Amino acid sequence: MGSYVGRQLLTIIPTILLSIVLNFALLHAAPGDPARIYAGMDNATESQIAATRKELGLDDPLPVQFGRYVGQLVRGNFGESFAYRRPVLGLIMNRMPATLLLTMTSAVLALVIGTFLGAISARRPNSVGDIGLSLLSYTFFAVPAFWLGLLMILIFSSKLGWLPTSGMRNVRADYTGWRDWLDVTRHMILPTATLTLVQIPIFHRITRASVAEQQREDYVTTFRATGMPEGKIFRRYALRNALLPTVTVFGLNLGYVVTGAALVEIVFAWPGVGRLALDAVYRRDYPLLLGIYLLLAIAVSLAILLTDIVYAMLDPRIRLR
Amino acid sequence: MASAPLPISPLAEAAPAQTRARSKARGAWATFVSSRYGLAGLILLLLVVIPAVFAPVFAPADPFALGAKPFLRPGSSGHPLGTDHLGRDVLSQILFGARISLEVGLVAAGIAAVVGIIVGSVSGYFGGWLDVLLSRVTDMFLIIPAFFLIIIVVATLGSGILYVMVVIGLTSWPANARLMRAQVLTLRERTFIHGLTALGESRFRILTRHIIPNGIQPVITNCTLLIAAAVLTEASLSFLGLGDPNKASWGRMIYDGRTSILTAWWPSIFPGVAMVITVLAFYLIGDGLSYVLTPKTRRAGE
Amino acid sequence: MSDALLQLDNLSVAYRTSRGAVQAVQNVTLGVPKGQTVGLVGESGSGKSTVAAAILRLLPNNAGITSGAIRFNGVDLASLSESELSRTWRWRELAMVFQRSLSALSPVHRVGDQLHDVLAMHEPKLTKPERTERIERLLQTVGLPERVLKSYSFELSGGMMQRTMIALGLLCSPPFLIFDEATTALDVITQSQILAEVKRLQKEFDLTAMVISHDVGVINATATTIAVLYAGQLMEVAPRERFFSAPAHPYSKALVASVPRISGTTGRLAGIPGSLPALQDPPPGCRFAPRCPHAMPRCTGAVPPLYQIAPGHTVRCVLYDAFPVAAS
Repeated sequence: MGSYVGRQLLTIIPTILLSIVLNFALLHAAPGDPARIYAGMDNATESQIAATRKELGLDDPLPVQFGRYVGQLVRGNFGESFAYRRPVLGLIMNRMPATLLLTMTSAVLALVIGTFLGAISARRPNSVGDIGLSLLSYTFFAVPAFWLGLLMILIFSSKLGWLPTSGMRNVRADYTGWRDWLDVTRHMILPTATLTLVQIPIFHRITRASVAEQQREDYVTTFRATGMPEGKIFRRYALRNALLPTVTVFGLNLGYVVTGAALVEIVFAWPGVGRLALDAVYRRDYPLLLGIYLLLAIAVSLAILLTDIVYAMLDPRIRLR
Repeated sequence: MASAPLPISPLAEAAPAQTRARSKARGAWATFVSSRYGLAGLILLLLVVIPAVFAPVFAPADPFALGAKPFLRPGSSGHPLGTDHLGRDVLSQILFGARISLEVGLVAAGIAAVVGIIVGSVSGYFGGWLDVLLSRVTDMFLIIPAFFLIIIVVATLGSGILYVMVVIGLTSWPANARLMRAQVLTLRERTFIHGLTALGESRFRILTRHIIPNGIQPVITNCTLLIAAAVLTEASLSFLGLGDPNKASWGRMIYDGRTSILTAWWPSIFPGVAMVITVLAFYLIGDGLSYVLTPKTRRAGE
Repeated sequence: MSDALLQLDNLSVAYRTSRGAVQAVQNVTLGVPKGQTVGLVGESGSGKSTVAAAILRLLPNNAGITSGAIRFNGVDLASLSESELSRTWRWRELAMVFQRSLSALSPVHRVGDQLHDVLAMHEPKLTKPERTERIERLLQTVGLPERVLKSYSFELSGGMMQRTMIALGLLCSPPFLIFDEATTALDVITQSQILAEVKRLQKEFDLTAMVISHDVGVINATATTIAVLYAGQLMEVAPRERFFSAPAHPYSKALVASVPRISGTTGRLAGIPGSLPALQDPPPGCRFAPRCPHAMPRCTGAVPPLYQIAPGHTVRCVLYDAFPVAAS
């Protein structure tokens, strides 16, 4: 098991390294003079800009700058934001909990609901229920998350007035304790629902295909012959075999949820990393932008690594070969 | 005594890809049509392609014309789907937007296909350190969140529609490369390939004339999904304000309409519907294609 | 016939396919007397596995018994409800040894756990230690080491896996066992080991068995009576010695002749020209007629009956119409 983890790490590390190189290259390929931006766009004098350039170390040759960059990264210094004049890492970590709340809640909800629906679909293939679910599945898979978010706001917030339109909290009322939790939850419902709805199809489809495949396996016939009831065969044996691909999909899906979450955050004015990134794009705040990108790359890599480990724990064929 | 003509045993596997191309194509088409999803997808696609191609004919007005009153409701005369905040006809924008979406989808998927096929087949066929290197690069692109990379590139290098198409294509090729590589690895060991090598065929010709054409099917199926994904990605970019501002893409429409969505929902909602139909069409077609490619033995129990 | 433990009476099974109904098994009447082993032999697609599946009601959804009965100790299994069949008959009275495959057991559960599960299901009164004892004894009997219990199926060799499937079949000590192509996936050496094992077990457990195989050699090694199935029709039933010394049906003759012999004079390998008919549209009358070197116009008329040409020896061929028709 240890060697398996080791092997997986070996795959991740080059990826992260390449991402760092890519980051650095883009940082310096970007048009616009960082020094000028940093010194203050409009009213900086030439000498101020030159001084800023020296301060930022932009005069040094590229390899030296790269070395410095990597050295800083290793020490947790992702650079300083042009716009906020604060360390990038701190800014990101500030917003991370909000994003994680949305991302993880929706991912887990989608996993549970989607897998459940997929199992139902697979047990009665080509029935009215299955075809209905599959069509719904396809449709929601085709829906852009940000558009769905707008639609949700339109229906549930504007027309029906049930739920707040945006934000994470009611800033005017200064709730604390459990009232605060309730407030956040209320604000969370629409964005989470949006994100969950577009992820459910993924799990529905993979579970449906996986269960259907398992029903064709020999051991199902073997157990049927022994007189084992269908329900027991499914619950005890087929399900466990069928859920393995779902684990992999959950890991891969996390990479996509992050993207979707960013868009949904923007629609709902949810104070997460997504909005931070968008603002950074508009302001050409490259250190912040690239810091977010790199952090994301690392996070997603780790998530996939974790998923692989869980998969190995569940599937003895991977562990013991 | 004369024996009956040799019947096909019900247990026979589907024959390898050596039958005549035309009858094979006809058989494939029949199978595709028999898959309900594939057929439905094709019909939906026609619903999108025909208006897109004939947009000038169908559109009530020039999509960029500013003449009409802004925020006319859907059902107003001359503007079946209403007008946006600048008085531009929504229906016309949607029709011309279809062209953009299809263009982006096809070009991006095309680039992803070409790059993916080349990388995957070279990686799988030649093996060795080249394979290891290319596989690492492929994995890297697969893991990193491509969308953010696209945002960064578009933000730094430019947001013209061409940039968008190319960047999407250049970030979607890894899945194709993986599929192609897997196919090449299997095909490489087939007897007829060994035979060709023994006959002295150059490796390049074996790769291009025999291996790639035979292994390309899953890549094609994946490309229909890529087209759908490209449409969604372009829309997302435009929604963030990063797309080409000169093109009336669906994402751009939603972007323009979002601030006034609570008072005028139609400029933002209708383009979304169009997008869902288009993306759904490609998904269904992709499903139909993979049905065609599934060996008959697996389908037997249906 | 009346002392048969298992009696197939005029059994017919058909599949529904997109190309129409396929008559996989047609009017098969076959009895397995207590203590005997009947070998069912036929080429791929002859319907022999369908017969096995029908007995334990393991047919896929698109197949069904169209006529006939499957009597076990007089009870028609085909008329029982699914739950009754599962509770009383499956595995306790009739069990099956499947061909070993990669997934004949669940690949992600330990082998021992699965054996325990099946045993606990049928004998809930046994405690865990009692079950373990029973299973370990069984493993010893089939020649498997104890560590098999803790292993996963992919960790076992082909021979070990097949022995595990045999152990699984014997778990509830059923009086009747079906071996469905049980040695087909094994190499020749392992195959002969397993077959010797099976013969020993048959004696030790006083089993009544049906051995299904396309391999005439396997049938020879294990069966006392041999039944030949071609394209769903029963062509001949004979005691073992008579079958090999004096096969009656032209198809049986070809089968026996096609077995290569290591000893004796060298000759050419004899195959059987042609192949199985398409069963959606079977040829009328005797289904072997299109390939038969002795075929006459009569053969394609009505289906010939089974003629009794010797005690315990029947054959479905018009060449023997001088003999009396076999009593059903």
